[in-house]
Parts: sequence; C-alpha cells; structure tokens
Amino acid sequence: MTAVPELTSDVAANSVDDAGLSISPDVRGPLVVSLDGQYVWSLTPTRDGRLRGSTRFVSWPDALRPHLHGRARVAVTDPTRAVTWFDQEVRLGSGVGRIRVVDPSGHPLCVDKVGHLARAFSATDPGVREEILVGTGRALRNLREGCEVEAYLNYGLLLGAVRDGAMIAHDSDVDLCYFSRHSSPADLIGESYRIERQLRDAGWRALRMSGGDIKLLLPLSDGRTCHIDVFAAFRVGETFYQLGNRSGRIPTSAILPTSTIELHGHHFPAPADPEAMLAFLYGPGWRVPDPSFKYADPREGVRRLDGWLRGFRTHMGRWSQFFQGEQVGAVPRQGSDFARWVHRQLEPRDAVADLGSGSGRDALFFAARGRRSRAYDFSRPARGTVRKRASRRHLQLDVHPLILGELRTVLAVGADLAREQRHLYARHLIGCLDEAERHNLWLLARMALRGGHSLFLEFAALGEGVAEPVPDGLVRRLDPKDVSREIAAAGGVVEHLEVGPGEDMYDDPDPRVCRMRVTWRRQEEDR
Amino acid sequence: MTARRIGSVSNARAQVSVRLRRGKELYRRTRLGARTLRARVEALEAEVQEQRQLNRRIAELTDVVAELLIPIADRNEEQARTLLEDYRKNLV
Repeated sequence: MTAVPELTSDVAANSVDDAGLSISPDVRGPLVVSLDGQYVWSLTPTRDGRLRGSTRFVSWPDALRPHLHGRARVAVTDPTRAVTWFDQEVRLGSGVGRIRVVDPSGHPLCVDKVGHLARAFSATDPGVREEILVGTGRALRNLREGCEVEAYLNYGLLLGAVRDGAMIAHDSDVDLCYFSRHSSPADLIGESYRIERQLRDAGWRALRMSGGDIKLLLPLSDGRTCHIDVFAAFRVGETFYQLGNRSGRIPTSAILPTSTIELHGHHFPAPADPEAMLAFLYGPGWRVPDPSFKYADPREGVRRLDGWLRGFRTHMGRWSQFFQGEQVGAVPRQGSDFARWVHRQLEPRDAVADLGSGSGRDALFFAARGRRSRAYDFSRPARGTVRKRASRRHLQLDVHPLILGELRTVLAVGADLAREQRHLYARHLIGCLDEAERHNLWLLARMALRGGHSLFLEFAALGEGVAEPVPDGLVRRLDPKDVSREIAAAGGVVEHLEVGPGEDMYDDPDPRVCRMRVTWRRQEEDR
Repeated sequence: MTARRIGSVSNARAQVSVRLRRGKELYRRTRLGARTLRARVEALEAEVQEQRQLNRRIAELTDVVAELLIPIADRNEEQARTLLEDYRKNLV
C-alpha cells in the first residue's frame, strides 16, 4: 500500500470526524472506507460530497451513523487499496470501545448501493456462497420452467461473472430479470401476480416490492437471509424498461435468446449479449471496478415506472426501520386511553379488528379483556412483534397483513371481515395514509360493517400553531371536517365526533386529537 | 430653446415612455406566461401520472375477480372461507 505523505500528513486536507470525511478536492475517483480492516462503505467525493473551504466534505451515510461510537483505525483508499488517502486511529461518538459495524449475530455489514446496511459477499464464507449460487439456480429454473418466462442473471452477479469471473466482493444480493412479452403495464402486473403465486407454490417465501418486482427470501445456514430480486423487463413503444429503474434503448437481440454464463462452477442463463447489457446498466466504463457506483436512471423512465407499478409501499421501509429500531421501545405497552374509551362502549362479547395495529398494544389490550381480537398491519416487523408479545402473554390473537395501498389485500380483508361481526378500530392510522389509502380504508369499512358495527377512529387533528405529530414525516394532522366529508362520500355516517386534548402514539400530550365513531348503513336498511 | 425644439424633446420623451411601458408590459406577460405554462405542464404531468396509476388498479381488480370471485361463486360457505384465506395468504 502506498501512502501519499503530502496528503495523509495534511490533516486539514484529509480528516475524519463524527460528521463525515473531509478529503482533498484533488481526490476524484471512487474511494473505499474500512474500519479496523473491515470494508464498510464506498463513495465518490465529486458526486457524494460538497466543497467546504479547502476540502470536499462527504457526510457519513445515515445507515452507518448508529454504529459510529468508539475507536477504530479508519482507512480511506482507492478500490484496489493501492493508494491510501487516510489511515489513522480515530475516536467517534461516545469513543467507548471499538467500533463494530455488525449485525446482531456479529456478521460484518457494509453500506450497499441503495444506502442500506447489508452483508457483502466478501464477508460470506465459501460454503454459504455456494448456498447462494444453488438458490439462484433454483430460482432461475422455477422462473424458466415453472413460470415459463425468459429469466436471466443480471446486475451485480452478471457483472462479476463477466468482468471478474467471481461474485463482486462489495455486492450483497442477487438480481434476476425476466423479459416479458407484454407491453401493457396492466398485463405485465397480472403476469407478475401469476409468477409470484407459482414461486410460492414452488416453496419460496416472497415479498411483493412493486407491480413488476418480487423479492425472494433465501435462508442461509449462517442465519441470515439472502435477497433474490426478480425484476420484470419489458418494452413500451420504443423504450426498454428493466426494474429497478433502468430505461432506454437496447435491442431485444441483446437479451434473447439467452446465453449461458459460468460463475464459480455454476452455469446460469444470461442476456444474449452480456457486454451490451452491462454497458446499458453501468455505462461504457463498466469494466473499471467502482464499488461506489450509483445508478443515474433516466428521470422520465423512473416517473413512468413509479406511476405504472409503485405507490402501495412508499413508507413501508421507514416503518419497518421504526419497528426494528429503538424508537418502538418508547411506545407504551399497556392499552391506550382510546382503547379504554372504546372498550367501555362495547358489549362484553363484541369482537374487534385493530387496523394499523403497530406494536399491538391495543389489539393485545382487547384480547386480554376476553374479546376476540385481530390485528392488521402492513409492516412485517410490526406483525412479528405483535405475534411474539401475544405468545409471551398467552393471548389468542390473529395477526394479518393489510396494505391499504394495495386493493387486493383491502378487498380480501374486507370480504373476510364481512363474514364476521367485528368492530373496526384504528388509532393514529389515518394520519399515516395518503388520500387513495384512506379511500381504501372507507371501502374496507363499508364492506366489513354492513351488519351494523362501528369504526372507531382517533387521529391528530389540524389546528392553529399545533406541531406535526410523531414519528416525523410518517404521520400528519388531518382536518376532521375533511375526514367527515370523505366518510360521508363513502356512505358512512359520523355518529360521534369530538376534538380536544389527547395523546400521541407515545402517550405524550397532544393538544388536538379527534375521536370518531362511524357506522355504515345496515344491510336491512337497503331492502 | 425654441418652442418647436421643446415640443420635439417632449414628444421624444413621451415616445420613450410609451415604449418603456410596452416593454414592461411585454416582460410581465412573458413572465406570467412562463409561470402559467409551467403550472400547466405540472398539472398535465400530475394528470398523466394519475392515469398511469390506473394500470395497477386494473390489474388488482382483474386478479380479485379471476382468482377469487369466480372460484368462490359456486362454493359453500366453508369452501369459500378456505379459498378466501388461501387467496389472502398468497398476497403478501
């Protein structure tokens, strides 16, 4: 390793502190940051930083910050580690102990290309790497033979196979694509639904990320889960689209018929012209390793893909982080005041469905009082927390997913609840929803409450000089008049409305909270 | 200065003043036009995005009809419940 004395000894030019890195503006290319020899992050100063005095400053990624407490030998080098720009023992944050960027099982983590912490392939032992490759092969066979789509290896694994003959050290997941013959987005989405069902029937655990991409979860023997993304690729008019967010011009002949590529002794289907695909994905400089590479996806293409395929899980990632992080610990566990208020109004044997149950405090409150209680939430970590707490307390509680931005789950849950006699309960839910999601909630309530039960709502209400509720950016205040109008337009009747001081989700005082009881027309009244 | 000359200077000043006013008015309309055009383009982009979102809604409704309502049509209550639960489990 060659140190660059005139730079590393110049503290003003290259330094590391709690805020981030300050690098000489002469440093242009991609850089790799290691802590005590462990790779954690890549950056390109000219793209990721800003000039600040005589240096270029790049702040630490948000995902990394919670780990930056203690001491570590911080090294900032080029990707080949031939040139060192900084190499010193540094004290960050609390300064206590050694800095460790690891998961709860102690496995090393690094910042991936979308800013999340993930386990890189370089931190994976050969046996587990083999499991990933076998799993990748199985997914491709299921797609090509079971689902009958032209699936192929793509993105990082393709790049590694073609350029290096190996998995890329800094990569952390597997990306597969399939070329769809559909040019209508509606048909493409319908095909993706069919593919998802067939993959589940083949034994995969799958998550739907958008109308055109599915994430398969491959459990590994080291305790973690490898994500295998299955992305749709398709043409609309002259433009080729490939999920994540790529769009542009590439002839179909560069993709089909698929070729075969070898990676660590495994053979996988690949695009017909892998190099043309790599140039399409990464630009003409794809042969030069750049761990800090970020996609510069065409803006118009991203807008189209967002409009056609996305919109039902916009905040799911942030809520999942919330339910997996420290903030959820501050949410009280006992039932809320609103839950007690509702409980007093119900008959002893009335059943309740808690929509947007979060940590489950109120669903568990109702179950503990002998009610048939059910919890619905769109966040997988939240549902996991509720199940654990119910199990620990030996309480009977069904927990189900409900994604209010996804009409299929809304209709399926509505149809399910229509067969039951349950009140609906939604505390601090509607402030988290956009207009389309609220309309789906009223639709669900209309389906579920035909038998005369009620929807109980509590939400932070708009008012003069009142601060936005917490968590920041995930909840907002609503005008009770607007909510009443929406409910009336959906056929509901607001039987009770009160606005006054109440509590937020942490049970801290909120000066303006609205409570409503809403009914929908009983079936008999329709006859 | 002769009266004719005074009149001539006065005319020239009036003409300059009229031209300045017209120029300002033209500038104001151009700025307003640009803002209006921008607002119209933004509104059009939002409308196009709304239409794009219908694709997912169409696919969702088609899926519910084809995969749930049709199979459920001639089942008994117990079979209908099982079908509904299976459909729901395969969604997320």
